Amino acid sequence: MQYSSQAVAKPYFIAAIGLFIGQILFGLIIGTQYVIGDFLFPEIPFNVARMVHTNLLIVWLLFGFMGAAYYLVPEEAERELFSPKLAIAMFWIFLVAGALTIVGYLAVPYATLAAATGNDLLPTMGREFLEQPTITKIGIVVVALAFLYNIGMTIITGRKTVINIVLLTGLTGLAVFFLFSFYNPINLVLDKMFWWWVVHLWVEGVWELIMGAILAFVLIRLTGVDREVIEKWLYVIIAMALITGIIGTGHHYYWIGTPEYWQWWGSIFSALEPIPFFMMTVFAFTMVNRRRKEHPNKAATLWALGCAVMAFLGAGVWGFLHTLAPVNFYTHGSQITAAHGHMAFYGAYVLIVITMISYAWPHLHHKAPAANGRAQLFEMWSFWIMTISIVFITLFLTGAGILQVYLQRVSDTPLPFMVVQDKIALFYWLRLWTGVIFFVGLCLYVYSFFAKDNKSLASS
Amino acid sequence: MTTSRKHDAGGLPGDFAIWIFIFAELLVFGVFFLAYAFSRANNVELFNESQLHLNRIAGAANTVVLLTSSYFVVRAVAAIRADNARRCGHWLLSAIGMGSVFLVIKMFEFGEKFSAGISLSTNTFFMFYLSLTFFHFMHVILGIVILAAVLLKARSGGYSAANHTGVETGASYWHMVDLVWLILFPLVYVIH
Amino acid sequence: MSETFTKSMARNIYLGGSVFFFLLFLALSFDTLGALPKRDNRQNITPQVALGKKVWEENNCLGCHTLLGEGAYFAPELGNVYTRFGGSKEAIMGFIASRPVEGIPGRRSMPQFNLSNEELEAVAEFLKYTSEINAANWPPNVQG
Repeated sequence: MQYSSQAVAKPYFIAAIGLFIGQILFGLIIGTQYVIGDFLFPEIPFNVARMVHTNLLIVWLLFGFMGAAYYLVPEEAERELFSPKLAIAMFWIFLVAGALTIVGYLAVPYATLAAATGNDLLPTMGREFLEQPTITKIGIVVVALAFLYNIGMTIITGRKTVINIVLLTGLTGLAVFFLFSFYNPINLVLDKMFWWWVVHLWVEGVWELIMGAILAFVLIRLTGVDREVIEKWLYVIIAMALITGIIGTGHHYYWIGTPEYWQWWGSIFSALEPIPFFMMTVFAFTMVNRRRKEHPNKAATLWALGCAVMAFLGAGVWGFLHTLAPVNFYTHGSQITAAHGHMAFYGAYVLIVITMISYAWPHLHHKAPAANGRAQLFEMWSFWIMTISIVFITLFLTGAGILQVYLQRVSDTPLPFMVVQDKIALFYWLRLWTGVIFFVGLCLYVYSFFAKDNKSLASS
Repeated sequence: MTTSRKHDAGGLPGDFAIWIFIFAELLVFGVFFLAYAFSRANNVELFNESQLHLNRIAGAANTVVLLTSSYFVVRAVAAIRADNARRCGHWLLSAIGMGSVFLVIKMFEFGEKFSAGISLSTNTFFMFYLSLTFFHFMHVILGIVILAAVLLKARSGGYSAANHTGVETGASYWHMVDLVWLILFPLVYVIH
Repeated sequence: MSETFTKSMARNIYLGGSVFFFLLFLALSFDTLGALPKRDNRQNITPQVALGKKVWEENNCLGCHTLLGEGAYFAPELGNVYTRFGGSKEAIMGFIASRPVEGIPGRRSMPQFNLSNEELEAVAEFLKYTSEINAANWPPNVQG
């Protein structure tokens, strides 16, 4: 760690992992409710548990991005963070606001929460992923602005590198597009159309800039490859991501009342969306192969390569699988969507945050470039267990999805939704048990932070 | 580094980065053209009937205009290779002029269609016609912006026979825009 | 392959490319806004539909159901439920109102939301309005 203010990243990373655990626990709850319908009913109905599952995901990824930025920006800008105090203050505000929101979800019925937080004044609640009370949304904007100010001032008065400029652009875009979450017209089609300006332009737009910047930062440190080379490719990759991804929004405009030309525009551009992810995979492997030094943090390299591969599989391949309009006509809103969502989020965003944590944590905590060998071993085991689990979760959901689509939408005698759900329950069971194994991998990951090396084990 | 003569060795002229962009663009247009062909095969009558409403004279005129502009760009590259930055600037300006003529003719064509109440939602043929031509239209604008940037740098003495990658880069992009039109025009306006 | 591959050109392509495609996206979105009145059934948005959407949102219906294919995949699609229930608002209202408070043993069950009659009617009206949006013939059949 070159700058003492980088240490503010630490609480962010800890919060991220803590919320990640919560996310998976609620994932297991809803996974169970898929097969045992009355599990925890009516105390925690499915809609509440799912909302906690997805909202925790978003919040912990945001914690991860912010932590990554606080760690990375001072090193890139070659100066201390503009205001470490502001960063810590924002951490507590965000954590408390997030925790209160989750408690609100769980403690009272959603309608009560809506009434208590004044949803009448500016109704923004009750839309997927944007379920937060309006006041929480305003809080998110405040935190985001303070964060951008802090990061922005550091960069403006420090060294400007491609990495911190791209990261800043991505984070600014994240804040800007979130503003569309306050637009909630009664006209359902308009509502849906601009809802995607938050969701799609986040995950298939500006978040990819953040991901690319973090990956480039870590690869420079791990491989010792010339910054010029890595930054050049970073530009090319994110250029491709935006060229394909922005119009790629059209793949959400097929069946929500928007004009039918989106079926063409959306299909054509989103069919090309795997390209930047493929480039990212090639890029990561090429840089590691051309490495000029052997970095002792092997685990971080594994996470980084895993991220590149899994992002390509999840976002690229599984996205392509159902992105063409004629296919999507049958798969839209089915378990195929869920399969893609799980692998894409894990591959692209969960793994990029863990990559950053894996690289930064030894510097933050041990004042060393790498954790001890045994800790790294546990990290690598957790990587493989979680990654293989998510691959199987995706495969089982894909199996469920194919059957669901056939029985409910394609066959000559389409069956009702709930009848089909019963018929494909086996896949949900398999998914649930794989989820349990994923959780074991996550526990192992958490344990790796406390693992002592063999020598100190022997001496104690 | 012998930047001036590298094209003789079979390399791509201009900056490699622009070629990544060009390949991506050609891929998009290529897929779009395939989609057009596929759609047309399923609606031959509709496509043939709707095609009659297009202004082929304007399209043909624009083909000549773009080809001319491409020729001007070739001359601009030749001029800078002969170390004549001033003449290079003149040719670039002429190319930009022709590009602008293209835009004017095209806008006239769009105006014609819009006032006839034709939009992206009229039918599949007009969806493709408007999508492809508007997408290309925007590329012409971008091409003009690129050529203008090259022109400004050429005028301020930024290029020479030894160092003119920028000119080749802009020229490569402009030729791509021209090439796409050379496929688009027969495909959408003519082939019946 | 060319020997020239500069960072500044890579940057220009990133900036130029993203601005270009964002402008194109804005142009298409603008056209969409113009085309929507013919498709989005806005002429049937009444105060009752508005109330129905509010009830829909404030009970987080999307947490289990999909609406025009978006939402959670735990419970049936509701964009066409009005059609599936035989064009009967009463059937929709009756279904929502009759959910057992303690659920159905071993099975998925919709919570009892204790909606007033006015709210029930509004939700049903909202779902009727939704079913009349031109969604390009989606879903493929009445099962959603």
